[in-house]
Amino acid sequence: MNDVIEQPGLWGNAWRQLRRQPLAMLCLAILVVYVGVWVYAEATFWSAKIRGVTPAYKISNYDQRNLSPSREHPLGTNFAGRDNLNQIVQGTRIAFEIGLLTSVIVIPLGFALGAVAGYFGRKVDTGVVYLYSVVDSVPGILLILAIAYVVRSAVDRSVAMQTVTRYVDSGLLAVCVGMGFTGWVGLCRLIRGEYFKHRDRQYVLAARSLGASHTAIMFRHIMPNVLHLIIINFSLRFPGLILTEAVLSYLGVGVRDEPSWGAMINDAKQRLWLGNWWELGGATLAMLFLVLALNIFGDALRDALDPKLRTAEAKTG
Amino acid sequence: MNLRFASAASLLAAFLWLAGVASAESILHGVGGDFKGFDPVDSGDVESADQISRVYEGLVEYHYLDRPYHVIPRLAAALPEIAPDGLTYTFRIRRGVRFPDDPCFPGGKGRELTAQDFVDSFQRVLDPRLQSQGDWIFVNHVRGAKAWVEHLNQNPSATTNAPVFDGFIATDRYTLEIRLAQPYPQLLWVLTMPYAFVVPREAVEYYGKDFRNHPVGTGPYRLVKWRRNYRIEFERNPFFSGQTYPTSGEAGDREAGLLADAGRPLPLLDRIIEYDIREFYTTWQMFLGGQLFSSGVNKDYFEKVITPELGLTPALTARGIQLIKAPSLSTYYIGFNMLDPVVGQSTDPAVNDRHRKLRQAFAAAIDVKKYCEVLTNNRNTPANSLLPPGVAGYTDAPYPYAFNRERAKQLLAEAGYPAGKDAKGNPLRLTMIMPGAGSTDARQAADFYVEQLRAIGVELEVQQLTFAEYLRRQHEGETQTFFAGWVIDYPDAQNFLQLFYGPNKCPGVNSSNYQNPEFDRLYEKIVSMNDSPERTAIYEQMVQLVIADTPWALMTYPLGYGLFQPWFKNYKHHAFPYANWKYYNVSPH
Amino acid sequence: MSAYIIRRLLSVIPITIGVLLITFFLFRVIGGNPAYRIAGKNATPERIAQISKERGYDKPYFLNLQNFPREVFDAQFPRLLSSLVRFDFGISASTKQPVSRMLREGFLPSLCLTVPLFVIDLVLAVALALLAAYYRDTWIDRCLVVLSVLGMSISSLVYIMVAQYWLASEWRLFPVWGFEGPQYLVLPVLIGVVAGVGGSVRFYRTIMLDEMYQEYVRTARAKGLGGRTILFRHVLRNALIPIMTNVIVAIPFLYTGSLLLENFFGIPGLGRMTVIAVFNGDEEVLFATTFIGAILFVLANLATDIAYTWADPRIRLR
Repeated sequence: MNDVIEQPGLWGNAWRQLRRQPLAMLCLAILVVYVGVWVYAEATFWSAKIRGVTPAYKISNYDQRNLSPSREHPLGTNFAGRDNLNQIVQGTRIAFEIGLLTSVIVIPLGFALGAVAGYFGRKVDTGVVYLYSVVDSVPGILLILAIAYVVRSAVDRSVAMQTVTRYVDSGLLAVCVGMGFTGWVGLCRLIRGEYFKHRDRQYVLAARSLGASHTAIMFRHIMPNVLHLIIINFSLRFPGLILTEAVLSYLGVGVRDEPSWGAMINDAKQRLWLGNWWELGGATLAMLFLVLALNIFGDALRDALDPKLRTAEAKTG
Repeated sequence: MNLRFASAASLLAAFLWLAGVASAESILHGVGGDFKGFDPVDSGDVESADQISRVYEGLVEYHYLDRPYHVIPRLAAALPEIAPDGLTYTFRIRRGVRFPDDPCFPGGKGRELTAQDFVDSFQRVLDPRLQSQGDWIFVNHVRGAKAWVEHLNQNPSATTNAPVFDGFIATDRYTLEIRLAQPYPQLLWVLTMPYAFVVPREAVEYYGKDFRNHPVGTGPYRLVKWRRNYRIEFERNPFFSGQTYPTSGEAGDREAGLLADAGRPLPLLDRIIEYDIREFYTTWQMFLGGQLFSSGVNKDYFEKVITPELGLTPALTARGIQLIKAPSLSTYYIGFNMLDPVVGQSTDPAVNDRHRKLRQAFAAAIDVKKYCEVLTNNRNTPANSLLPPGVAGYTDAPYPYAFNRERAKQLLAEAGYPAGKDAKGNPLRLTMIMPGAGSTDARQAADFYVEQLRAIGVELEVQQLTFAEYLRRQHEGETQTFFAGWVIDYPDAQNFLQLFYGPNKCPGVNSSNYQNPEFDRLYEKIVSMNDSPERTAIYEQMVQLVIADTPWALMTYPLGYGLFQPWFKNYKHHAFPYANWKYYNVSPH
Repeated sequence: MSAYIIRRLLSVIPITIGVLLITFFLFRVIGGNPAYRIAGKNATPERIAQISKERGYDKPYFLNLQNFPREVFDAQFPRLLSSLVRFDFGISASTKQPVSRMLREGFLPSLCLTVPLFVIDLVLAVALALLAAYYRDTWIDRCLVVLSVLGMSISSLVYIMVAQYWLASEWRLFPVWGFEGPQYLVLPVLIGVVAGVGGSVRFYRTIMLDEMYQEYVRTARAKGLGGRTILFRHVLRNALIPIMTNVIVAIPFLYTGSLLLENFFGIPGLGRMTVIAVFNGDEEVLFATTFIGAILFVLANLATDIAYTWADPRIRLR
């Protein structure tokens, strides 16, 4: 595999560089904690699903609603007497699910389109550029909203989708599809530019002269050299997704039956007047630390892996 | 405002439409919905009806203070003479009523109101080209109306007067005759609705498509300035005359100070200013700041505002704030789609019976009392009849499928789903739609229903939809179960019972697609009956039929709570609040 | 150069058509027939059919092949195109007003909010970015960066809720709600600036640092020019091009206003109109705001491209 010129030292170098930055390492530690919480939340969610019981975070206790923080409930309880801390833990799961589900659309779509456009150039490129210019022109939040709305109403009516919505919240699905079909543009641009550079490199020409097919060159030879872009793009896009979900929640197309942070913030607004700030505060802080850690670590990761990207990526996220 | 849905609005706050500020003459109040401008043909929503009734008026209106509700003449000089066969109503129009000065009239001078104005205005409601939501008040009742509408549908370019239509006739300058196809006991009720308000044809022609932005009415107020989605301002109409504050009312009204202004010329306020505030939380903050004259009480605020005994907390009492509670004539329910293969009616008696048991199990599974307590702070009470109390036909017989979890489980087993599992052992899954996407209260209510059904082993999926989408699903019959509410349009149970009449099925008002030949036969009988003990007895019988078949699982009767500043006077809850603004007053503060 | 501009102008057409197709597809084809909503709950099937007919919803989507040669364009999409050419966005189903009129009424209040917000944000962000760039890699720079990232990591909903509740409602420093005079705009603008400035600082700082590592800066420094002179004379001047690009491309968003701020503070602009339309499923209004937003964005991009050619002769050669 000597085609992969930059590969051997790339990750190692980046890691060495990151390790020298205490702030980035702190953020990484925070991220590790969040991932731990996420795994825990997934485990409780799925074990309840598989056993066919109601998970604890969904059991109401109306005698204990809107309690103030106490030893038993460090962040108090919500309208249904459910522990807010527990809700925030599940909110972490929702946040990660949003990031992952959206990426399931963004990464293949953005990568494939960007790769063919950059690799083949000419008409294919014109077509892809046209496509993303169009998507990019439509005001983002409205496009997401329209797609999410349409997807949700299709899912609601479809009998076939009922098996899916047993496991994935239909609102979550709709939001992810909406953000997925608008979010691929950034990655596509990046990948396209990179393929553009790589397609005339020595190793590609050599592979071509040896009779490698276009698919093989695109995926086996060039792809390993641009994979780090996907990671960078993901880490910088993820915080934006979490913040967007909160706004969508406010606009009525957010996650439905699960405690997303956006939904918690929107619910908490009505109880601020009662001095009930812990629900808002808890969800906000949970969101803040994750988004902050992702932003800072994402920046550091980008600088370590590919400093040239800074200008291109600065405004996304 | 036929068929105005309580569901979305009430889930938020029943009194949201009544939030306001005042100086000596001005009142500001929050608007809760979308307002389609000042054209009575488009008064199908609460907000439009409220605004239109400040500027326009009709032949008759409700008495403000008296109960039970009854109708008094307004632009009519007296109540109509009704022919013995009940098919002809003759109204004498009050003389000397003037439309205000406006550029639409020759020379800018307003002219006197005549009987012909009513003929023109009523025809506008029927005119299919105007797409009024109010055609139902006349179309099936007035002689020749249906054929005339059909004719205009076929020939959209025909002038309104081309085909002969003599359902509404001005026999002279001040006499109006309404001729009916069959007796229509509800006619006087529907004539109080803004659909039946009178507009001058000059304004309609002069302003054309912009007519809805230029109201020219005989009503108590006139529009000063309207800034869409934000603010609307009215001032006293100098041409309004001939009405004074009522001098009598229900027992207790005098003690409540409601007769202090008795005999004074209306309207009492010189100016009304309203703001379009959609966030309850903003309304509340502005009410506490003294900017709004009134506020509703939201669920989350309730415990800080209202004591467990349903009185006002001392902090607010000390500020002199008044609390007014009143039942709104409406019923909330969960409807079943009777065409659904799982919960609906069936031609096979055995299957039909099982499905009915399933619906009854659903109804019995929901702890409505608990719902009232935890989600509405007892602002609602469990419903025991289709009809709300106060409507003839209501009885206080207990609801046979009231909450009883054991019974629900048993009914569920009899329906073929022991412990919620069908014969193959698969769990029963049901879907419910409800309006209020994005609303916290809707989300919490949904959570509650899911839990209640889960307790008997049924998996319920609740889809919270935007109101537009919700309506569409209902119209197209794409529902299995749906949460809904019905606010009565006039004090006659027929308005509720039409929701179960077979021919009214989707896309009509019978969203449950309920079908029962016996019920339909009775309904056809009562539509032309006048109020009588005999009719009330049939109403009771019809309600029993429906309850036994359970196309609805009954939920609650909402109770409206409004808070008012101490300086706000003469507010009395009215279930049909058209034209009430002229009675309101403020004291110097 | 004029050939380039003409070519660039022509490229707007296919993009516009693409945008139209997307919006048409989402709002009309999938959104379905709104006749039910217009007709009201009590609608008879005849009335629904009649409304559909009048609004053209009974027509095929793209081409009317049934009435082949004569009325082939008597279909929804061609009809939409022809009405858009006349700036006719139809009648809103929930307010019964012409959408073009609603847009006309809404854009001034939106600009009242967004223009000051935008200008303050820009000036503040560029100033802070210069500061950060000047003191790069010192604690001042690091603090600024962390603060910017912190600022952009909080949901804008939280900024609004917290500020409206504490600053306006509790402490009475600002009006809670309304659009009566300039003092009503102070709090929304303030929130907008606080919520937005973090991202802008980060962006402009990156641009300036990129310029600082350019060849000419090294040359200037070798010539013995002071840091401050270099920063203002060279770096800022050269960074102006990307800053300008960013500014022009942001202009369309001024027109469409701010969804959240307008809605929370009762500013009767296009953002509030859009939110209300979302809740009412008001397809005509959403279509119009989406479409206009897109067109303005395309035009803004066009303007930056043309400005580039004018400002930087090298681009012309490409």
